[in-house]
Amino acid sequence: MRCNIYQSLLLAVLIFTCLGAQPAGITEKNLRFVDYPGFPEAHSTWGSIGYSSVHNKVFIGVTNHSDRVGLFEYDIISEKMRLCGFIPELAHLRDYQWQGKVHSQIVEGPGGAMHFATDGGESREEYLMEHPHGYSGGFFLKWDPATGILSNLGIGMQYESIKDLAVDRTSGRIYAVSYPQAHFLAYDTDKNQLRDLGRMGSDHVPRVMFSDWWGNIYYVDWRQRLIKYEPSAGQLLFAKESLPAFPGTPGEYIVTGVTAYAVDQPGGIIFLVTYGAKMLAFHPSREGFGNVEDLGGIFDGSSEPAWKYYCPNLALGANGKLYYFLGGHGMYAGQGENIVLMEFDTRNRQKRIALTFPLSVISEVTGSDVKDGNGNLYFAGRRSDPKAEQRGESGSSRPFLIIFNPGRSLQ
Amino acid sequence: MRRSTGFFLGLILLAAAGIRAEYTFFSPSGSFAVEVSLENSSLLRLPIYRNAITSLEVSGDYALGGTSAAPGLSPFLFAVSLSRRRLELAVDLAQIIPEQRAVISGFGRGPGGVLYAGTMSDSPGGSGHLIQVRIKEPSLVVLDLGVPVDKEGVFAVASDPGRRAIYGISHPSGKFFAHDLASRTTRVFVETVPSRQTLGFLHGYAVKPEDYLSRRLILDGKGRVFGSLPVSRLFRFDPGNQKVEILPDQIPEVWGRRPLGRVDSWARSADGSLYGGNAGDGQLFRLDPDKAKVENLGKPVMMPRIKGLAFGGDGKLYGVGGASPGYAHLFSFDPKGGGFSDLGNPRFTMVAPGIEQGISWRGFRIGTVAASEDGRFIVLGEEEALSQLMVFPVHP
Repeated sequence: MRCNIYQSLLLAVLIFTCLGAQPAGITEKNLRFVDYPGFPEAHSTWGSIGYSSVHNKVFIGVTNHSDRVGLFEYDIISEKMRLCGFIPELAHLRDYQWQGKVHSQIVEGPGGAMHFATDGGESREEYLMEHPHGYSGGFFLKWDPATGILSNLGIGMQYESIKDLAVDRTSGRIYAVSYPQAHFLAYDTDKNQLRDLGRMGSDHVPRVMFSDWWGNIYYVDWRQRLIKYEPSAGQLLFAKESLPAFPGTPGEYIVTGVTAYAVDQPGGIIFLVTYGAKMLAFHPSREGFGNVEDLGGIFDGSSEPAWKYYCPNLALGANGKLYYFLGGHGMYAGQGENIVLMEFDTRNRQKRIALTFPLSVISEVTGSDVKDGNGNLYFAGRRSDPKAEQRGESGSSRPFLIIFNPGRSLQ
Repeated sequence: MRRSTGFFLGLILLAAAGIRAEYTFFSPSGSFAVEVSLENSSLLRLPIYRNAITSLEVSGDYALGGTSAAPGLSPFLFAVSLSRRRLELAVDLAQIIPEQRAVISGFGRGPGGVLYAGTMSDSPGGSGHLIQVRIKEPSLVVLDLGVPVDKEGVFAVASDPGRRAIYGISHPSGKFFAHDLASRTTRVFVETVPSRQTLGFLHGYAVKPEDYLSRRLILDGKGRVFGSLPVSRLFRFDPGNQKVEILPDQIPEVWGRRPLGRVDSWARSADGSLYGGNAGDGQLFRLDPDKAKVENLGKPVMMPRIKGLAFGGDGKLYGVGGASPGYAHLFSFDPKGGGFSDLGNPRFTMVAPGIEQGISWRGFRIGTVAASEDGRFIVLGEEEALSQLMVFPVHP
């Protein structure tokens, strides 16, 4: 859905970008913003975006960051965004099973079904627990785009949110991490068997799980060492060494681990971004751990330490270059508080700012490896909006979908 | 404070707005966490699923722990130096006694820094052993003292250095036993064993022996042993007359939940009073060992369980309330009238090779609490897949 407000905002980007003397090549015409209809109180999106290759649609979980979570579907062919419904109604949740948001990725499973999980979203989730106002726990949910049925696969852990999940596309098994205790969960959907493999984190939960093309699942421990679940062995493996980090990276950045990834299966690489602002090329192997290649920082700035750049998104363009929106959560690149779209050429490790956005246009972007067959990359975006309702520390914002194609105009 | 995809914005916004965060963690100056468990490491660390710290005591500079393992795996005895803040010694129990899975009994003290504990077999019907644990630098020496009750595990122990006796509760039957270290003989008492009728009652609540047997035992100043038995009762064993007496006063209850009542933890105060935690509903109670009177002191938090209690050098009682599926709250209780203080989740800094800059460690599932002999430190043991030790100072 094209919106006039976004045309105006993109014009602002054009002016802003010209003033900033950005390199030629990528312009605002390579971008399109789509908003979410039927949800005027929509506040934010998190890691809650995914692409169905079977249905050629993008799915996004959108929240008011309190107690209302909508599932949206963007049809790539018709360029239409529609509200599939709100999670409590779709999943037949009771009032005491309220949910604050979808924080997990929305991941395609066997047959094109989209899997995701729910999160309490606010402090009442973490601290009220068994109190009548407390949080019952995050659910595993499965959306079938063909039938429009949302299947409730049950709770992960009592009182715990589910921050992220990964799905074995062959077996349909689901893997997830809980919040705040960072437990690694393995759920066999065929047997309805949930295994709690235990706590993996320190005081902060790494937000991203990812999988390789053999169905192995990856996470990190508190030392930022890769953890691998090999379904064939049914157990966790721990890498001997930590992922690379800049000297001086504070502990709270180390424990947060990986914030985004993008898969290059033909190249045998999974690109990773860490909370300590490293770009890594992980070369997985079917058994054991493969090699990790340090590609340097995600941004070369002089005003901040090398580890102090924030990037919770990543996608690989059809041109072989990585793209990511840098900034948010109080950490920004460039001058002032701006979000920048970065282009990273993995062949020569050159990176550049492609576009710059004021926070009124884009304030934060999430989403890993969401792309279609036409070279379009999809991200879940937010912009600062003083008219939006303030939601605690998450501020006042409006969410929207970002479509980006570095190879052609989308206007 | 709730944090989302990157917590620094929240911190910055709060600072900018001059707003105090709603929640602060318990992170007193001088506190620290020790990395005890880490899978696939060249450092001395306990491997995954074999390190839940289910027994804990402090002897001199060392916090000594006994762990529980997942089925098919063996547990460890380990020692952490409190002054050097690191794991220094660990012994795989399988090297001493095969086919054991857990050391859940807690420790009893012997002379000269010796500790006693009991083990649980890895298989139903297997026999648990009594063990002696002692630091003999540079080693941690673990000795097998034999099987006190054939085909039963050792669920809880306490010891009397003066009488050279180890007392215990067997699992699953719930027998009380007294082991004489000099003669190496054990006398077994059945007064603590639930009757057939009681077992039928407990069956209706789908609770197992590990849910209703006395998790800890304690001695009073006269060498009498106190523990619990189903349903929600207390007993006293007098070594003088070798009698087990079921006390008239019972563990404080929440109506309708008596089947869950049992002693989760004990601590003895300087005035000789015994303080107990009820696993079922999480009440703290005080027992006058002579009068056998129970006083319900209330609940520190809404949740059940009080898995650990220990007196600090400041005269306060420290404990953990709450447990899985929720998470622990550290609390203190001032016997001089200060009441309860809920200290919340402890969060201490962990420094170790490879994480020299320090990381914050937050304690969620704390199963054991111990005080250093001088009362200057309270030590907390986690019960996780990868469990760590958390230590904070107490200032008298």
